[in-house]
Amino acid sequence: MYASKRYLIIAWLFVLPALLIRFFTTVYPIFETFRVSFFNVNLLRGINEFVGFQNYINIFQDPKMITSIKFTVIFVVGSMIGHIVLGVGLAVILNVKMAGQKVLRTIVLLPWAMPMVVIAIASKWAFNNDYGIVNDFIRWFNPGFNLDWLVHTETAWLAVIAVDLWKDVPFFAILVLAGLQFISTDMYEAAKIDGAGPIQTFFKITLPLISKNILILSIFFTMWRLTSFDIVYAMTSGGPGEDTALIAYRITTEAFTNLNTGYAASIAIVLFIVMAILSGLSMYGAKKVNY
Amino acid sequence: MKKRLLSFLTIIAAFTFIVAGCSSSSTGSSTKDSEGGSKNEITLYTIQSTQPGFKEWLKKAEEKSGVKINWVAAPTDSDTRQQKISTILSSGDSSVDVLEINDEMATSFKNAGWLDPLQDTVLTDDILSQFPQGYMKDMLTSAKGDIIGVPGYSGYLGLWVDQKKLDEAGMKTIENKDDFVKFMKAATKDGQYGYGGSWEKTYVFNEIATFVNLFGGDYYDWTNEGSREAVKFMYDMANTWKVTPVDQLADKYEQMNQKFIDGKYGMVFMWGTGTDYREANRYGADQIHMINMPKFEKRAIFTDSWSYVLNSSSKNKEAAQKFLKYAASEEGGLNGWENFSRYPARADVASNEAVQSDIKEVYTQIQETNEINGRPMLPQTMEFINEMGTLFHNYIQDKITLDEFCTKAQEAVDKYK
Repeated sequence: MYASKRYLIIAWLFVLPALLIRFFTTVYPIFETFRVSFFNVNLLRGINEFVGFQNYINIFQDPKMITSIKFTVIFVVGSMIGHIVLGVGLAVILNVKMAGQKVLRTIVLLPWAMPMVVIAIASKWAFNNDYGIVNDFIRWFNPGFNLDWLVHTETAWLAVIAVDLWKDVPFFAILVLAGLQFISTDMYEAAKIDGAGPIQTFFKITLPLISKNILILSIFFTMWRLTSFDIVYAMTSGGPGEDTALIAYRITTEAFTNLNTGYAASIAIVLFIVMAILSGLSMYGAKKVNY
Repeated sequence: MKKRLLSFLTIIAAFTFIVAGCSSSSTGSSTKDSEGGSKNEITLYTIQSTQPGFKEWLKKAEEKSGVKINWVAAPTDSDTRQQKISTILSSGDSSVDVLEINDEMATSFKNAGWLDPLQDTVLTDDILSQFPQGYMKDMLTSAKGDIIGVPGYSGYLGLWVDQKKLDEAGMKTIENKDDFVKFMKAATKDGQYGYGGSWEKTYVFNEIATFVNLFGGDYYDWTNEGSREAVKFMYDMANTWKVTPVDQLADKYEQMNQKFIDGKYGMVFMWGTGTDYREANRYGADQIHMINMPKFEKRAIFTDSWSYVLNSSSKNKEAAQKFLKYAASEEGGLNGWENFSRYPARADVASNEAVQSDIKEVYTQIQETNEINGRPMLPQTMEFINEMGTLFHNYIQDKITLDEFCTKAQEAVDKYK
């Protein structure tokens, strides 16, 4: 009994450094952010006053924030639908036995390996009407095509989502592929003997068996989308107007450009709560899905 | 027993590493601190490090100031740069002693107490009198009367034209508003436009303010007819006459300049002395060159600078002041001209024989004929610029009317003033 207690203490002592680091780099900043969110802190004007829940109220009265919330919802939902549909499709293709399979899998992953800021800066040019590769490609089929994607709200939304998909779908697909490879070939053979076609096999065997995998991946990918800001930071600067300013981008702008630290903290806390609720619900959902 | 001893030693070792890890940096900085006061070196946060003449400039600056200059490159992206500099100054970071900041940052920071006053140590009256007085007062003087920066150069947001297009339009020059409109219309054909802008929401501020200025308006008063007329003029350029592309709402200077160099635009408003055009072999009297501002209601132009400022948290203030004295000196101004083609801010240096260029001719003409102002800025500069840019985007895209634009612009002015 004495020995086990002593070992427990030793174990805790070993863990303590990691816990301390975690405390100072995660727990403390969260509490400090929470505290600051109740203050009107404006470094440029030298203001630091307690304002209670005013910052939180302002979030839902600020037209810029409402635009940000709207685009963040569109971005996350649009991007996640794209990730699931294209990611599963790509994973199925990559799972087909063919020559050069390994090379293909490596090539597919290349966009994921590139830093988002680099991709976003390149995309700013790629979607330019005069110099962009996107319109060049479209003009092969429609020579008179003219559109500056990043100037109009809806097309800027599409462009941002498209770039996000281009970069991250391969990674999603590779992770789905890992799930696909756990499905026994016996099941497919049995289905074939029973006369099931490829579409029936996909919806009755493949999809149900990877659904938990997809759901778990979706939790992480959704969280990453909710916190991503680099794509719009480098690609659109939140424009046209404020139409592509994601919530995380708004937090960065308020905190580091406008130096409205209190307001930025309150937005961060709201985002934190939304993410906590979403991940809680998703985890609950993941438990329910059981094949 | 051995196991227990081993465990104990391992724990001690782990803690020692962690404590050593934590304390080593503070020991390092405290050693630095003790030397800091007398250290004859500074760290400069600079935007010039990518310029071809930077090494030469640095060598000369070290020689003449007698200060060893370590440097840190500032990010090239304007948003990132502003965020980094804001963070350095607001957090009391002493790793950088002298920084180069633009007008937007100077307006934001001059009353925040993050920069040391320079009037007693660097900008003595004889030196100060050589700098443009209006600019020094508007941009670099705090509410308390402290002067917080040494201008690194004098620049104008001037009108650059493509002479070939001007010739094709059968015009000699652009003297007034009628000429301006005539040239825009004449040069707009075959997918090319008479006027090009960088209307990205944080950049378009420069052009809105320029047109407001030319129309005799007031950027802080949107009930002023001149201000309204200016934005209506910009709207007409894009939507009514279609002499400038709406697509440029996404363009910053790099996109605008590329298009100008490629012959897609007849004229643009641009800062600097034409370095990009020179590098693209498009600079010259028969190609792209700067001309005097046209006279609309008045002939007016904006001036700007990047200024050297002293971080209040610096531990090397003596050395920093030595460097700043050099930057404010005749030699400092000439060094900037020779290596970066930056037009000297000091009047006496600008008139020096060593400063010879066709730009000098235009600059002199501008100084003689234009009303010269610093750009209109408010303490929450970037927030204000962003808001005005967003409103402008909405107006150009017909999401709001001119009246709504003016009402909201006035609200923004009142909010941030």
